[in-house]
Amino acid sequence: MKYLNKIFLITLMVFICHSCSDLEEDTSSLLTLDKLATEGDITASLAPLYRETLELFKVPHFLRAATYGGDDITTWSAGNKAPLRTFDRFDYGSGENADNAWLANAWDSYWKIIYYSNTLVEGLKTSTAPENSIGVANGEARLFRAFSYLNLVRTQGNVPVILGEDKPTGKEQRATVLENYQHIEADLLIAEELLPAPGSESAGRVTSSFAKAVLADLYLTWGGWPVKDASKIPLAASKAKEIIDTQYHTLLPIDELWLLSGENSTESIFSVRVADDQSVVNNYPSAFSFHQARGFSDCFPELQFFYDFPEGPRKEATFLLDIPNRKVPGGVITPKDPPTTPWQESDRQHPMYQKFVAAEDLTFSNRPVSFRSIELYRYAEVLLIYAEAQARVGENASSVEALNQVIRRAAGLPYLTPNTDVDVTTATVDEIIAEKGWELAGEYKRWFDLVRTEKVEEIAALRDPSEPVELIRQPTKAQYIVPIPINSILLSELVQNPEGFKIQ
Amino acid sequence: MKQTKFEKLNRKLLTFILIVLCSSMASYSQNIISGTVTDESGTPLLGVNVIESNTQNGAITDFDGKFNINLNKNPSELIFTYMGFKDKKQSVSGTSTLQVVLQEDFAQLNEVVVVGYGTAKRSDLTGAITSVSSKDFDEQPLNDVSQALQGRAAGVQVTQSSGEPGGVYKIRIRGANSITGNNDPLYVVDGQFVDISTVNVNDIASMEVLKDASSTAIYGTRGANGVILITTKRGRAGKTKVEIDLFTGISNLTQKLDLMSPVEFAEGVNYSEGQDPNDPTNPFYTTSELDYLRINGGEDWQERLFQTGYSTNAQITVSGGSDAMDYYISGNIYEASGTVVDQKFKKLNLRSNLNAKLSEKFKIGLNFNVGQKESTGVQADLGSGISWDPTTPAFDENGNYNFNSIKNVASGETNPLVSVQNNSRNNTTDQLSINGYLNFDITKNLVFNTSLGLNKSERHFNSYAPLISSANGRANVDNYYSTKLYFTNRFTYTLDINENNNLKIDAIQELVKEESNTTQIDANDFFTDLVTYKDLSIAGVQLASNSETNRELESFLGRINYSLFNKYLLTASIRADGTSVFQKDKWGYFPSASIAWKVYEEDFIKNIESINNLKVRLSYGQVGNQGIGVYGTRSRAVIDELINYPFNGSLTTGVAPSNRVANPDLTWETTDQFDVGVDFGMLNSALTLSVDYYKKITSNLLLDTQLPSFVGPTRQYVNSGEVENKGFEITLGARFLQNDNWNIESILSVSRNRNKVLSLNDGVTSLEVGAAIVPNLPVNPTRVEVGLPISTLRGYVFEGVYQLDEAAEGTPGTAKYKDISGPDGIPDGLITTDDITNVGDGNADVTWGWNWDVSYKNWNLNFLLIGSEGNDIYNFQRARLMALGAQQFNAVHADYLNRWTPENPSNIPSSNDGTEMLSSQFIEDGSFISMKSIALGYNVDSDFLERIGVTKLRLYGSVENLFIITDYTGFDPESTASNAKDDADVGIDYGSYPISRSFIIGLNIAF
Repeated sequence: MKYLNKIFLITLMVFICHSCSDLEEDTSSLLTLDKLATEGDITASLAPLYRETLELFKVPHFLRAATYGGDDITTWSAGNKAPLRTFDRFDYGSGENADNAWLANAWDSYWKIIYYSNTLVEGLKTSTAPENSIGVANGEARLFRAFSYLNLVRTQGNVPVILGEDKPTGKEQRATVLENYQHIEADLLIAEELLPAPGSESAGRVTSSFAKAVLADLYLTWGGWPVKDASKIPLAASKAKEIIDTQYHTLLPIDELWLLSGENSTESIFSVRVADDQSVVNNYPSAFSFHQARGFSDCFPELQFFYDFPEGPRKEATFLLDIPNRKVPGGVITPKDPPTTPWQESDRQHPMYQKFVAAEDLTFSNRPVSFRSIELYRYAEVLLIYAEAQARVGENASSVEALNQVIRRAAGLPYLTPNTDVDVTTATVDEIIAEKGWELAGEYKRWFDLVRTEKVEEIAALRDPSEPVELIRQPTKAQYIVPIPINSILLSELVQNPEGFKIQ
Repeated sequence: MKQTKFEKLNRKLLTFILIVLCSSMASYSQNIISGTVTDESGTPLLGVNVIESNTQNGAITDFDGKFNINLNKNPSELIFTYMGFKDKKQSVSGTSTLQVVLQEDFAQLNEVVVVGYGTAKRSDLTGAITSVSSKDFDEQPLNDVSQALQGRAAGVQVTQSSGEPGGVYKIRIRGANSITGNNDPLYVVDGQFVDISTVNVNDIASMEVLKDASSTAIYGTRGANGVILITTKRGRAGKTKVEIDLFTGISNLTQKLDLMSPVEFAEGVNYSEGQDPNDPTNPFYTTSELDYLRINGGEDWQERLFQTGYSTNAQITVSGGSDAMDYYISGNIYEASGTVVDQKFKKLNLRSNLNAKLSEKFKIGLNFNVGQKESTGVQADLGSGISWDPTTPAFDENGNYNFNSIKNVASGETNPLVSVQNNSRNNTTDQLSINGYLNFDITKNLVFNTSLGLNKSERHFNSYAPLISSANGRANVDNYYSTKLYFTNRFTYTLDINENNNLKIDAIQELVKEESNTTQIDANDFFTDLVTYKDLSIAGVQLASNSETNRELESFLGRINYSLFNKYLLTASIRADGTSVFQKDKWGYFPSASIAWKVYEEDFIKNIESINNLKVRLSYGQVGNQGIGVYGTRSRAVIDELINYPFNGSLTTGVAPSNRVANPDLTWETTDQFDVGVDFGMLNSALTLSVDYYKKITSNLLLDTQLPSFVGPTRQYVNSGEVENKGFEITLGARFLQNDNWNIESILSVSRNRNKVLSLNDGVTSLEVGAAIVPNLPVNPTRVEVGLPISTLRGYVFEGVYQLDEAAEGTPGTAKYKDISGPDGIPDGLITTDDITNVGDGNADVTWGWNWDVSYKNWNLNFLLIGSEGNDIYNFQRARLMALGAQQFNAVHADYLNRWTPENPSNIPSSNDGTEMLSSQFIEDGSFISMKSIALGYNVDSDFLERIGVTKLRLYGSVENLFIITDYTGFDPESTASNAKDDADVGIDYGSYPISRSFIIGLNIAF
């Protein structure tokens, strides 16, 4: 018995010794890309930038929420669109509605893109990948960063400058609008040098044309409200002209532009793509369709904008006047009888945007979706930026020709062939801005044009009185920028608009 | 370093043990005493311990109350102990037959209760421990452990946060310490740490709730939230006993919501769309359509989405044993369907508890529990379901679904029945726990106990949404495996120095290893619904992900119990815990001490006949919380399908930087707790009172803080801030009447806890940490603010509606809010986010439970009332039904009938422009009193039963939630949408599963 006990105790000792641990955390399953050692590492780090841009742009009404003050878009006067109506009816300007439910979507997404870009720009400094890959990726990251900052600044005003060099604290302060423009410009000037010329880029990646287009857009914005630095206008013209001079980009026939087959064409300066396997969808058709057409009635043209829009093939390609009537027995989209309703009798009593539903796929889901790439900048915009910027400093033959190319294409004519039936010989800046509004209707451009040219008040005054979303006030400069979303105010030391708005 | 020190200590102890072993020999003589033990009514008592004084020599009475014992000494003294009866000492000499009568002990001061890593006599406890024994709840048909605790333990708040079958309960012991960490108590079943969801409540013999730091500090970093020790039943020596319990019941919703009729709704749509019914081009409702609805009605979605639920429970228990061995084996099946279509729940459980006495020195045991939970079917989404269009019938004239709202009103969602009736889901959880121990009485004073436990859990969650509800077929397969291994070694040394000085020392070493891995597959694009989630290879898109984690916790514990004159008691303990999840500061040390004074042992009280118990307790200690997940200190690269991009058409895998800022310096959060308590009993405990006051301060909080989105990473764990919980608990017990026919007993427990945030990270006065319960709310409905309870409800202050004579201030008919502040901290005439303020508190001021047990002859009535006082509920369900929020188009709530119009100048806004969800308009008082359960039982006469060989037959009927008295207008004030794990956002109601009223009949039979 005694020996048995001893054996037992010895066995116990063995047990106890085995019950000790070194308490180290096993990190073997943790992935890190700190070193960016290969081209594959770099591509993997670039994918989130592009994807977040796609995530933001594929949901059109979230992206556009703060820009509903533009006359090219309005929304349903009832239902769940109160967050969009906030901006459509100018119910902001003194700090109100910073807690708008859909205001933070674009803000958060742009900052995510900036965070991904910052991390990549910093990571590339110690990368051991091939030099060429490092250069291109550096250009791409800076371009996405600049593009995101530009859209933030023209929506919310001056924002903090976060370039990833410091540890985040939440105590960062807002810079001035001018300071924001300066770091955006700096990034873009580096990017245009590092990025490949259009046509020589890897599939789906950005080119120097995109960098130049954003740069031209920045300069045009810089020359307008609020900084109004006229010296930047010629730079806008020259950057746009550089893109035109590449001779790479073209305009598509207007009836082909918005089809699925019109995607990724040479008209596209840059577009974000959806996947071939249909695992990502473009939500434009559902956001731009009325409920009777199985959409969500998020976004459709204001009546006055529609009335003023010049007749012709472009108007037909832009608007849908016979609104589809659809049902979904068993989850399958099926036409109702009658298959369409005139827009005046439709459930939203407005026309719809045809350009955003032209590529719709009705078989994929019980809502209309699309698999077309989403345009961020088109060559038509570059032509119009050039026309406007040059008109501001002195119209010339090539700037009038640039405008005429857009006008000819809108009329359904070959755009490179002069045609006295439609060509203009001269155009005022206001005429070019109006043309830009029609050409880029609904494309997240019009509001920024109205703000930088200080036309918001003038255009709002023209609003059709029968527009069912009633303005809460006539806009003033107080409505030129929207509030910073409440969460970023609560979690930081940022000063809300209008108090925190600093131009230079 | 620490390990080796303890190893040395272990070695020394073992050497000592060996020496002592060799010297223990004894001589025996042959003196056999036999006898019978009965209670006062003469019924033989089975399983009474008969021990010869000052020896290890003992026996147990058999089925007829008979025993034989071989005395070591003669003459000698025998001690008779039996649970629930007073100990009795009896001198014996020579050879005789004894007739022993034991007296029932209502005070049960000598009852042995389980404490952390050991047992103690109730009278020797120095900490705040509440016991709930099976006899407190076995009159009630229960299926969940939490139900047994609800209303029966002061200081323990049990909330049924969902009425779904299988239930979800939230248990908080003395409030929530941690803001973002886990506040669930630790469950220890027979010494093993387990998930209680698969423990069968009918297997429970007793539960001890450890509340103060002196009781919980022995659990160190796992003890901060309180500990619930569960002891399962074991067999008793004697004849095999078979028990069968059966019950079955039906359940229904306690209350429906007040919604508009279809025609009222249609008129509301016309109003909000600004349409005239007399206009024939009105795309909404024309006069003739309204007339049609008035006559034919539309759809009552509450009728469609709620149903009568049923439940059945069957249990068989076989137990028995001999002097050397006992066994308890039980099997249980519980099946239920819920009151919300269309979910079913099934629970299977098998337990086997075996204990064997190998020799006088060795005892071993093996507890084995295997359980399975299965939840099938898809539950209707009540948030969107009851707010769906009442003018669109569920089915068209051909019996097909009306897939969407015919006029696209109410909401844009699909007919709520489509997914419920077509989607499939099967969530199965298997749980296996095995726990073996060996107890070795090395010497009379030194006991060694080692136990090894294994807890394996497997979760398989599968679901499929077919083509009709998801357009292209969507399946999810989610597998989770976890293994937890526990190894505990304990030495207990008792030294009765003399009659007046008793000492007990425990030295314990423990290791916990946890490993888990998950595999998740999301698949879509199915061309057929035939194989669903069972074969994902036919899906066009398959996305797989997996993860693997493990963590370790190593601990060394020591505890001393010292008793002086059997009047003054001292307990002191310390635990050292080391964890793998922290990078630098791995070790934490958690000391505690408590003293108690048994006043009733003092002569001046002993003389007062009526007082049989009076004890004062005082304790202080520190407990920890490692409320952080594996890798919580690190920033991990993000791999997710939402960061892959199709550069060339097919997706390129992306890697994004972490959304978390690393913090390698993280360490334990610590709770300091002070407790003072008094236990009092008089008239043989006919009246008992127990009062405790406590104060806890949790510091160095492990806070999962949020950073603004513009800095990039949005989360970071920090050690910062302090939270205070203080309160008191009263348990008042009374035995009103006890005689041959009657027995009336009642226990009232009242708890009050006040929770307050003392500080947050430097300079910060508030934090936004709650979960996003309500979609698209840009501001959290709750916030953590210094000086206020953890979960303070936030919103604008609703002041009604601008009337016609107030047109200068605001558009008539729109909501009016109070201007509280502005950018400069003073009212600025504008309603901005500066005017969001504290509008309520989701925490109750007082909660109570009142349990009554009334017996008359063979009849027994047992009922439990529970109540909660002073808590607010944010009724976002009503907000949605009033057409607010991103999902709702039109109002369906009956309040909308009284909407403001120029003719009806009410205070209900008629438009959703400018009406806030986050406002005091939707704050309601959540106080309630509920008849939680009431059961009436009848025990069939034993004379009759004996003839058919049955020892017990009880028939009963029971009702759960018979009534709820409350002003709350939602389904019920108890169930909420707040995650049962979360304390930063309590009191939120949105689409929560209402609790139900159940009628149950059942029987217990034993033979």
